Amino acid sequence: MDQFLQALVSGLLLGGFYAVMALGLSVIWGVMGVINLAHGEFLMIGAYMAWGLFRFFGLDPFASLLLILPLMFLVGYLLQIILINRIVERPYLMALLVTFGVSIALANTFKILFTSDPRNVPVVYNGSMQLVGITFPIVKTIIFFVALLSMICLQIFLQRSRLGKSIRATAQNKNAARIVGVDINRVYAITAGLCIALTAAAGAMISPTQAIFPFMGPPFTLKAFTITALGGLGRIPGALLGGIILGITEILVSTYVQGIGTNLGIVTSFALLVLILVLRPQGLLGGLRPLDAEAE
Amino acid sequence: MRQIILLFSLLLVASLVLTACPGPPAPVDAPDTAADSARTDADAEKIIYIGGAVSETGKYAREGQDTRQGYGVWLDWVNNEYGGIKIANHRYKVELVMYDDEGDPDTTARLVERLINEDRVDFLLGPYSSTLTQSASAIAEKYGKIMIEGNGAAETLFERGFQNLFAVLTPAGNYTQSALQMLAAKGAKTVVIAYEDTAFPTSVAEGAQRWAAEYGLELLGVETYPKDVADVSGIISKFKRLEADVFIGGGHFNDAVLFIRAAKELDFNPKAMVITVGPSNPKLVAEVGVDAEYIIGPTQWEASMNYADEYFGSASDYAARYREMWDESPTYQAAESTATALALHLAIEEANSLDTDAVREALRNLDVVTFYGPIDFDETGKNASKPMGAIQIQGGEILVVAPGNAAVADLLYPAPAWKDR
Repeated sequence: MDQFLQALVSGLLLGGFYAVMALGLSVIWGVMGVINLAHGEFLMIGAYMAWGLFRFFGLDPFASLLLILPLMFLVGYLLQIILINRIVERPYLMALLVTFGVSIALANTFKILFTSDPRNVPVVYNGSMQLVGITFPIVKTIIFFVALLSMICLQIFLQRSRLGKSIRATAQNKNAARIVGVDINRVYAITAGLCIALTAAAGAMISPTQAIFPFMGPPFTLKAFTITALGGLGRIPGALLGGIILGITEILVSTYVQGIGTNLGIVTSFALLVLILVLRPQGLLGGLRPLDAEAE
Repeated sequence: MRQIILLFSLLLVASLVLTACPGPPAPVDAPDTAADSARTDADAEKIIYIGGAVSETGKYAREGQDTRQGYGVWLDWVNNEYGGIKIANHRYKVELVMYDDEGDPDTTARLVERLINEDRVDFLLGPYSSTLTQSASAIAEKYGKIMIEGNGAAETLFERGFQNLFAVLTPAGNYTQSALQMLAAKGAKTVVIAYEDTAFPTSVAEGAQRWAAEYGLELLGVETYPKDVADVSGIISKFKRLEADVFIGGGHFNDAVLFIRAAKELDFNPKAMVITVGPSNPKLVAEVGVDAEYIIGPTQWEASMNYADEYFGSASDYAARYREMWDESPTYQAAESTATALALHLAIEEANSLDTDAVREALRNLDVVTFYGPIDFDETGKNASKPMGAIQIQGGEILVVAPGNAAVADLLYPAPAWKDR
């Protein structure tokens, strides 16, 4: 029983991180129909920023979020205006090619700037905590709650604020949004800024738990992609559900299957993805908008 | 219709991300066409072309850089200091043709093919990692080109009956031998193993199981995990329940960080952690900090070992030369890469020709002691004569603790629990 609870807790914590990590990809895809293949690279940038701020200024990675979030919002905003707005509403392949190019350029730029030496942020509180017989990893628990908090904030912003409503309106029907006077390009830029800031924050938060290196991005992109497809495009509850399902599946399988558990956990998550795509192509919670090019 | 579009784009993205799309290879130091005409001209300066595809990007970027720098030390020495390889009273300069394999076995194969067919290199040097060596050596064997390597340690590489593959490093199966022997002597009773399911870590883990049995350690659990894994909580919490004395982690540099972090996060307290590749690299202590204390790692070579030769001097002379050139201390991956090129160099001089058959014969008969240790290839191409060392991180220093004659410190065992440090 203890083992089961431990696996559940580990899975939940992993799932919370997965959700906040995947959200950026999910919302950009949902709102503008761009699949951002450079997603993992923005996570990598966030991790490097946290590492740099820790190493040179002694700033805690969670405190550095206050700097990383606005800075990366700006980066995302500018990237959207300069580059991505030119390929939005074009065929999918264009967006794939451009963002794939961005991912290669970013990974290699970081390799030149920081070399390929793996980095890590050795915070002092990276130990564990015992609670009712279950071990809670401190850093991962903080990540989980920060992730939850940021998702709740984003959800409230999307549901309540005027800007959030125009983002959702744009996602649902671009033409109608244009007709009622929404400045689509600005909405896109703000969406991209938010998403990229959030992704970089996810990267900053995991910097104490694993090695940071310029080519760490692609596996995260793939994982974010799986979660998005599982949960449904552009929906925050969807990303949360997808992330937690994936996290718990992986940890449960790896805890209970001997020998090949960790491998099998990842296989299971992809099997799950195929199943969902066949039975419910719009994802578990449905998409933020119909993904039909002709409908627009 | 919308399902079809969604499915199609999903497939497209998945395939793009999965293959990480090997783009066109970025040539590094590729010879220009003028070099081709030079080769036909007998009176011009004689040049030996040696080629290799070694990671500059991708998962093995760090270790690939060590490998490249190791080759670079030999290249600089042989051309500028030694005056070129001696064959029949002529001095041959060496030109190294290097490509970036991006850590991808298919790219490696394509680049080695290109080195042989387009760049017409005379000999090949190995890439970093057993997985890439496996792919590169298959192409070399197909064309009957000699490939000598120092960074592919998996035993499976040498079980294929290849005639042209030679390796100067101790095979992976022996990596944990000296560490396990010493831990058993210190009173360890049980062991758990986790390893990445690629060629090299698999060989390490199989060897570890063999040596554990040999030294009377009971094996409590074995777990594998895939390349690019981002979370090993499942493995660690399972091992925590088994309460083993010794944890063995087989993987590459990034996995060492992951294991140390996961062990501390889940309060997993084995009495000793033996992890491959990471601990012997000073970068690990620099990044992970005090949590790297007490970690034990196998090492092919350390600058404090008492080997020497007439070319690079002692192991510490080599380390000084390396620091001079690259502004950082040599890892064992760098040292074994230099030794790889040196072994080829010695075999060419011994054969007194560039003929593949003659050099192959000379490699088989080679029996020398270098700054890196003894080199003596067995009939499969492995270097069976060199013992493997073990290091432990103590007070931020990487200190050799085994084998006895090279040890500079005593093994600290058992390691204290995380909360007592």
